Amino acid sequence: MGILGLSKLIADIAPHAVKEMEIKNYFGRKIAIDASMSLYQFLIAVRSEGAQLVSVDGETTSHLMGTFYRTIRLVENGIKPVYVFDGKPPDMKAHQLNKRAERREEAEKELQKATEAGDTASVDKFNRRLVKVTKQHSEEAKQLLKLMGVPVVDAPCEAEAQCAALVKSGKVFAAATEDMDALTFGAPVLLRHLTFSEARKMPVQEFHLNNVLQGLELKQNEFIDLCILLGCDYCGSIRGVGPKRAIDLIRQHRTLDEVLKNIDTEKYQPPTDWDYERARSLFMEPEVADPKDIELKWTDPDEEGLVKFLCGDRQFNEERVRNGAKKLIKARTGTTQARLDGFFTLTTTPNSKRKAEEDKKNSAKKKTKTGGGGRGRKPK
Amino acid sequence: MFEARLLRSSILKKVLEAIKDLLTQATFDCDDNGIQLQAMDNSHVSLVSLTLRADGFDKYRCDRNISMGMNLGSMSKILKCAGDKDTVTIKAQDNADNVTFVFESPNQEKVSDYEMKLMNLDLEHLGIPETEYSCTIRMPSSEFARICRDLSQFGESMVISCTKEGVKFSATGDIGSANVKLAQTASIDKEEEAVVIEMEEPVTLTFACQYLNYFTKATSLSPQVQLSMSADVPLVVEYRIPDIGHIRYYLAPKIEEEDS
Repeated sequence: MGILGLSKLIADIAPHAVKEMEIKNYFGRKIAIDASMSLYQFLIAVRSEGAQLVSVDGETTSHLMGTFYRTIRLVENGIKPVYVFDGKPPDMKAHQLNKRAERREEAEKELQKATEAGDTASVDKFNRRLVKVTKQHSEEAKQLLKLMGVPVVDAPCEAEAQCAALVKSGKVFAAATEDMDALTFGAPVLLRHLTFSEARKMPVQEFHLNNVLQGLELKQNEFIDLCILLGCDYCGSIRGVGPKRAIDLIRQHRTLDEVLKNIDTEKYQPPTDWDYERARSLFMEPEVADPKDIELKWTDPDEEGLVKFLCGDRQFNEERVRNGAKKLIKARTGTTQARLDGFFTLTTTPNSKRKAEEDKKNSAKKKTKTGGGGRGRKPK
Repeated sequence: MFEARLLRSSILKKVLEAIKDLLTQATFDCDDNGIQLQAMDNSHVSLVSLTLRADGFDKYRCDRNISMGMNLGSMSKILKCAGDKDTVTIKAQDNADNVTFVFESPNQEKVSDYEMKLMNLDLEHLGIPETEYSCTIRMPSSEFARICRDLSQFGESMVISCTKEGVKFSATGDIGSANVKLAQTASIDKEEEAVVIEMEEPVTLTFACQYLNYFTKATSLSPQVQLSMSADVPLVVEYRIPDIGHIRYYLAPKIEEEDS
């Protein structure tokens, strides 16, 4: 689940790095979307009376419903989405994945208990906890996206890393995922909540990596060390070191190696065989496909193909599918709005007065000691 | 200490009306020469540039340069509390967190003051290069507002094309198409009602109606509007505010997609 507590830390220390935007502000932008993350969201959220949508054979179709309609919404807002799918997880994630599997088993047991007890609220809760994006879900979503004329990228490894590489290369404007590790992988712009339902009226959060680094007063390699210390997917972290202490330690010692030399390892025990160096190199040089070799091409949707794929067994309403296809075609024709940034040079100077106030606040905070705080990791 | 006094609050009210739909917040930069505001809308498609010269105020004093970040919604609410004929005075201390608006009725019987918190905004500044425009069109501002309103019923975007013969505004959409042609006025009796076109070479550009309609909120500030266009650069829509300054809007054109 990305980096533990990073978004909160950024909001506290570098609020300037986060902007709340409306989806319509992104017209004309190409955006790389972490597909596994959004499929998971759809499986959780797209439901009718608490149950997932299913085809005649009882196969889930929530992810297709979500992918179809939310992609249309993005395209209608002038966004050009690219979906990036996960490849094989890195070996180092195995531990994390095992933990998730354990949680899943627990949830399954709880679910049985709740079903026996007839507690519908809990049944619903644990049902959602059991949701998992399977290979079949991904394959179906890929097929659907191809019919919609939306490009799909298969990442060799982690999708967030591939999204980050695409942004870095300038192929797309931003990476859209809920996972904060996109920043750790070096994505200059990260968008959160982009694929959320319209009904939730959740503004899109835009993170700019250089503002984050500026706000935290760190360089990228120091930021990676900070993320590892906060708790990432690839290795453990030091018990008793919470977000506040983590940022203070990194600011003081600048690298994890120095941190380890300088803290009282009796009080704060690093995990045994802590392989933070490999985690670090995983963030610095993740396994990604070279963006140069990736061609992104948006094409017209295949209306008949969509009807064939979604209606019939999967029980989508034909009229609505055809309407959706028309919307996709309509959004493709016509002209695109240009931005002024392309014509004029933009200089942003952070407000000097506010900067001074923030500095004062931060240094005041540093003096007050804070403990690790409650921690607990949510299963993905 | 900053203090600026306008005999009629209506100018300030109208200025606010002209920018508050495009911007939610903006920084007013005040110095010896007057008040300046430059800000882009959230999606960075348009830019508002406002200048109110010091000599246009009834009284103007600015000891130290001061930048005041204001929430335009709140400011507009406050200005709604002023009568059209009231005198308005804007006051702020150096380095203050608040700005005060004082309204006085013409006969001095009623004096009201409103204090508003300032915001600490980032200063976004666009370097606008000096541009020689291929076409400039001056026309009655109400005519321009009317055309924008009428054509926006037909489509989301409007094509403005300027040739020797005159200027043509057109829009196409589901219900059909609309074209409005204006020729240069032959004899100028009243300057305010004239259509004057200066053209070096013909230009055709496409713009989003929605933004043009935001710009025409400034119509009541000036009887005339000036449009400046060159191929592939932003349109400039300028309203001169008599005796005190101007408000300029820049709008990025819509462009044909080269790759899809």
